[in-house]
Amino acid sequence: MSMTVVKGLQSEIFVPITPKSVWAPVTKPLSEMTVALATAAGVHRVDQERFNLAGDFTWRKIPNESTEAELMVTHGGYDNSDVNKDVNCMFPITRLKELAAAGFIKECAPFHAGFMGGGGNIEKFTNETGPQIAEMFKQEGVDAVLLTAG
Amino acid sequence: MQRAIEEVGIPTVIIAALPPVVRQAGTPRAAAPIVPMGANAGAPNDIAMQTEIVKASLNLLEEIETPGKIVSLPFEYHAVI
Repeated sequence: MSMTVVKGLQSEIFVPITPKSVWAPVTKPLSEMTVALATAAGVHRVDQERFNLAGDFTWRKIPNESTEAELMVTHGGYDNSDVNKDVNCMFPITRLKELAAAGFIKECAPFHAGFMGGGGNIEKFTNETGPQIAEMFKQEGVDAVLLTAG
Repeated sequence: MQRAIEEVGIPTVIIAALPPVVRQAGTPRAAAPIVPMGANAGAPNDIAMQTEIVKASLNLLEEIETPGKIVSLPFEYHAVI
């Protein structure tokens, strides 16, 4: 019995495509790294413009010296109750500062990045917001980035 | 976002509450503690848990050698909603 082959047959089931890998190699130990945070959890400073809950591809530059009280969250896509109690749940800036003081990492980056993930204009995120944030990290000499909200 | 940062040559690791989603999005390195969407880095005001999750996630920068690897972390927090 031979295999049945139908030319041009396509499945009607949607099969998402995983993009090709990207990979930046790690070239130094953690103790020599300047580390930045980037979060899709909608974190920003209290004095910065809030995100538009209907979808927002803009991002906020968050100075490392910001205190927990100076930070807040605007994001309608997940339960904010924990992060409202303690911003470190999604943006562990105090933990990162402690790890820098302890010598686990060399230092915190001067600026971190907050944006509102979970939808919105994906094309803008991919082609504008992402590259803009990456460029800021490159300019400030960041060695590694810890992201949250995956 | 993670991919955009990697593309300029900066290594990254993401803390993921939803590992299948980051896998689909093509993550290079991910840490997967058992946490909800609203508390990726651990329970609110639990400094010990947050510190361990952040440290273990950063350690993956040195440990993961192949793109697309997602490593489970032995921490668990369930939000009471």
